[in-house]
Amino acid sequence: MNYVIIGNGIAGVSAAEAIRQLDGSCGIFMISNESVEPYCRPMISLVLEGTVSASKLPIRGSSFYQSLNITPVLGSRVARMDVDAKILFLSDGKTLPFDTLLIASGADPRPVKAPADLANIFFMRNQHQVLKMLEALPRTRHALVLGGGLVGFKAACGLLHRGIDVTMLIRSGYPLSLQVDEIAGGMILSELTRRGLNVRVGTEVTAFKGINTVTGALLSDGSEICCDLVIIGKGVLPAVSFVPRDRIQVDQGIVVDNHLETTCPGIFAAGDVVESMDIARKTRWVNAIWPEAATQGRIAGMNMAGRAVVYKGSLSRNVIRIFDLDILAVGWVNAPDDPRFTVLSEHNQCLNTYRRLVFEGDSLIGATLVNRIETGGILTAMIQNEIPVRASKEKLLEPHLSLKSLMF
Amino acid sequence: MNQVIVHPERCVGCMQCMAACATAHSRTRQLFSAIRETPLPRSRIHLGTGLYAEGFPNRCRHCNPAPCMLACLPGAIHRDMQTETVYVDPDRCINCASCAMACPFGVIRYHEDASAPPKKAVAIKCDNCMERQQQERVPACVEVCKSGALTFEDNSKALKRKTDQVAQSISAGIDVPQGSPSFTLLNTIKRAQIAVRHAAV
Amino acid sequence: MSCTYHQQTITEDGQLLLKKAQTDQIETVWDRHQAQLPQCGYCELGLSCRNCIMGPCRVDPFGEGPQQGVCGADADIIVARNLCRMIAAGAASHSDHGRDLVEVLANVAKGQAQGYAIRDPEKLKKVAAEYGVETLGKDILVIAGELAFAMQEDFGTRITELTLLKRAPAKRREIWKNVGITPRGIDRETSEMMHRTHMGVDNGWQSLLLQGLRNALSDGWGGSLIASEVSDILFGTPSPKPTNVNAGVLKKDQVNIVVHGHNPVVSEMILMASQSSELIQLAESKGATGINLAGVCCTGNELLMRHGIPMAGNHLMTELILSTGAVEMMIVDYQCIMPSLGKVASCYHTRMISTSDKARFPGMEHREFHPENAEELAKALVQEAIQNFDNRSRIYLPVEPVKAIGGFSVESIVGALGGSVAPLLDAIKAGKIRGAAGIVGCNNPKILHDYGHVTLARRLIENDILVVDTGCAAIATAKAGFKMPDAIQFAGPGLKDVCGALGIPPVLHLGSCVDNVRILMLAGALANALNADISDLPIAGGAPEWYSEKAVSIAAYFVASGVYTVLGPMPPIAGSLNVVKLLTEGLRDVVGAVFAVEPDPEKSAILIRRHIEERRKALGLGFHTL
Repeated sequence: MNYVIIGNGIAGVSAAEAIRQLDGSCGIFMISNESVEPYCRPMISLVLEGTVSASKLPIRGSSFYQSLNITPVLGSRVARMDVDAKILFLSDGKTLPFDTLLIASGADPRPVKAPADLANIFFMRNQHQVLKMLEALPRTRHALVLGGGLVGFKAACGLLHRGIDVTMLIRSGYPLSLQVDEIAGGMILSELTRRGLNVRVGTEVTAFKGINTVTGALLSDGSEICCDLVIIGKGVLPAVSFVPRDRIQVDQGIVVDNHLETTCPGIFAAGDVVESMDIARKTRWVNAIWPEAATQGRIAGMNMAGRAVVYKGSLSRNVIRIFDLDILAVGWVNAPDDPRFTVLSEHNQCLNTYRRLVFEGDSLIGATLVNRIETGGILTAMIQNEIPVRASKEKLLEPHLSLKSLMF
Repeated sequence: MNQVIVHPERCVGCMQCMAACATAHSRTRQLFSAIRETPLPRSRIHLGTGLYAEGFPNRCRHCNPAPCMLACLPGAIHRDMQTETVYVDPDRCINCASCAMACPFGVIRYHEDASAPPKKAVAIKCDNCMERQQQERVPACVEVCKSGALTFEDNSKALKRKTDQVAQSISAGIDVPQGSPSFTLLNTIKRAQIAVRHAAV
Repeated sequence: MSCTYHQQTITEDGQLLLKKAQTDQIETVWDRHQAQLPQCGYCELGLSCRNCIMGPCRVDPFGEGPQQGVCGADADIIVARNLCRMIAAGAASHSDHGRDLVEVLANVAKGQAQGYAIRDPEKLKKVAAEYGVETLGKDILVIAGELAFAMQEDFGTRITELTLLKRAPAKRREIWKNVGITPRGIDRETSEMMHRTHMGVDNGWQSLLLQGLRNALSDGWGGSLIASEVSDILFGTPSPKPTNVNAGVLKKDQVNIVVHGHNPVVSEMILMASQSSELIQLAESKGATGINLAGVCCTGNELLMRHGIPMAGNHLMTELILSTGAVEMMIVDYQCIMPSLGKVASCYHTRMISTSDKARFPGMEHREFHPENAEELAKALVQEAIQNFDNRSRIYLPVEPVKAIGGFSVESIVGALGGSVAPLLDAIKAGKIRGAAGIVGCNNPKILHDYGHVTLARRLIENDILVVDTGCAAIATAKAGFKMPDAIQFAGPGLKDVCGALGIPPVLHLGSCVDNVRILMLAGALANALNADISDLPIAGGAPEWYSEKAVSIAAYFVASGVYTVLGPMPPIAGSLNVVKLLTEGLRDVVGAVFAVEPDPEKSAILIRRHIEERRKALGLGFHTL
């Protein structure tokens, strides 16, 4: 029995661990285009920031492959696959047969329209890219960050921390518009501005300037901006170039059933590449976040090894700490203005806290918390488990919420 | 294996467990000196307030699988298989609060602590008082709980007791007293007081 | 905390000012109460003991943990000791207040109390006669000196029973004697109570509780009674006067001075100073149209009763009154003054002045009042308050005041009835008035503010039960509009007729919390007129929002005097069902009255009505079975 896992991110690693736990003798192969041992992708921004060294990134010991008896196939990409013959064709010309396959290939950064072939223009998706940025930092005075999503936001924070002048271009009125609502976004924006971030709203880059190395950018509003480092953080797209769409259904991401199996039997998918049922939105959604990837990997692994485990669905959630603000957003925080949804919120300017809860009927489906976030996990669990709120909904707004106060 | 078991129906809300926990995790392990330490030691057990102002000792369940562990980015949370204890390694913790989002019980806090590198806030949660257990002492919260809301015993024993209680309560024709009549009286009055307020507004 | 103001108080001014306080980032008593939750169950049950340092100890109510303190005291003993110490503290507070008034009386007699005088010489002579002081042909100052001396004896141990017990019906005194709870000296009973609750003294929970009753009686028929009587002698016996209540009594265009606390010794002097034409002119020169003196809590009640001075609010309103930003100065003496007030005031221009040598507060200036400097100091303070008018910034006075009538003393009620209690008794016998109830006590953040007082009063008057009230309860019902003659529209038909004919409100303001003795005296007078005991009367007491140790003492002397008393909040006794049973049932056979605990004022009203109907039946009067 040969299990092949495409990707050695947290989804792939969790799957391998689950398979090995259930099946001590099978062969496990892990393919990754990165040649380093499994590491924590969300922490690469901390390496940019300088608060964590790259040596702290690995999530498992250096003996990970060895101790789990996994055959790593590193530095390789999957070029295409034959799902009938159950064979993978790698970019280096090699082939790899499989009995059961997990696609945990993650996601790739969304490119920008302007040609970006100059030096010091970076995506921020992997460790290698961040290490390259570190090399460029000593000569960086002005940085330009494209996009106010999570990646752009984290990049901007990291650079600000290092005392670099940062300009951020965002399409909507405030950063993290997909993750938080307008008030929380405003709080984030004012905190970042207070810390020296320049924000330009509603504009994008039409062309980069520079010979070999970037020196500036032309913007759609006709202005020009000087910069010696550019980080592109315009979101990610599931890495599905090798997936045969005629055999495996792909929408925004790879479509899976509640056992994380794709439409092609024996082939599973997990992590950022997957489009799964979103618990809060009650529709399929790509929730490319670390804890979902870990959970999906684990459950996919168990299903692959023959132990049927149901995956309930995914839930978007993020926790962000910037300077003096803690922000926790979970579920459908920006549900549309519709009588189906009720919203309770409390903005306490004295304590600088903000809480916004979105309900659909009796069920909590989204929450945004700014500061005093310790009990956010309780809210997450309520959304995740679709626990109807029968006690007063206002009670949930209190920062010192406890389980007992929800028991009735 | 003995573990801390919470019996919320017996919690009188005295907060003794919080003071004892903070003291047990201080540098000096003594109440009178602990309250003068910097950073000030903080409890890892948190007394919540119920709908009727009754107490509820909220404490890490050391879940398996532990959602905090799955969510931890730097791999700072691990499980000691022998004691079934979920630990946070303060030296690996990056204070990202991902575990706050994962913990369904809201029992993880973020602050400086005697066990962490100086001046660095880290995720702090119950460690089952492993240090005390190695000295063959029961966890601090259990030691001070005089109402029996926290016990340290084998789960199977506690379950057996509960099962017996349920069985006795349905024994036909015999009225077995349950709990404390005094505490029931107090809680009845408190509930009534709060119910009056709710009804009035 | 937002949007919950209506869950904190039923008063409009309270709700609006809570909102203002939140905007101004003022922390209130409600916030602090919330922060204390859950409160310690051992303490709520009365099962923790800090009386000695073999402890502290607590008893496990579930029966598995410790059942005795280190000394061996069980739940019954610990609960009884704790409750008794509450009574001792309450009795001590009232009685010490009384002693301060006796000292002023003594100083007046010696001519060492500038500004103070004997304002009711008739009452002086009447009380002096009760104390056996010869009055005929004597100078009133001499009488005052001798009365003060005789009263001081009541505080000591040179007597075997308190002088004013004579006012109690003979049957009542007989009960006290038989049970062994006749109070001997005011301070003595408190002292003995503290002695008995020391480790290793009285460990009979029943005998402890009986001493608790005796201690309470030393307050009700001693300390408080002296406080009330001497206040009348020094400042005048109250008679009905119109006034205004709620936060709206503060005036936008005047210098607002608020007095807070309990003893009229300070507030009366402030009143005199605020009426001096010289100071009024000074205020006018600062652009104010005058000096507006208002009260909160019981010292406010003292001024309201005697002078119709308006009342800005009761206990839970004291912080919120400051958040109007309209108070130039708050002058406090003692009791029920939250130590948080100084901090609240620091957010505004309000100057906070503490005046008693025995009561200091953080964030207040201490300007100590003594009988000999009071007049002068009062003037100086009023002058400083006027000067502070310039420092006002934005003020917020969101409501209009409510009208009320205050000032019903036993003397003025009897006067209104034509010189005797007979017409009242006739109305009771005829069933037009089914009975009477005293509503007393405080506010408590555990209770929806004023809801207990107002609901209980409304239901009682609907049931033709005349309500007399004092303290914070009296302010609550005044704010609700029950203290105007037209409030008879809320009363049952019989009560409406009687009050309508007399032109009085159905809810009578009898004064401050020491003035609860006025209720006792009225009850005593009714019982004497019927040649009965107080416990035979169709009367009852209610304390729906009590919080303080003083309230425990009051409730205990009510019950020990034969008045059935319904408490809203539970005292810390549930840890001993023996104590609970004794207080709620057993005492009936001992003193002819018991306590009840009922958090719902609607149900309290039913309990009181039921008790009154039972008493009516026993007296052979027309009754309804509930």
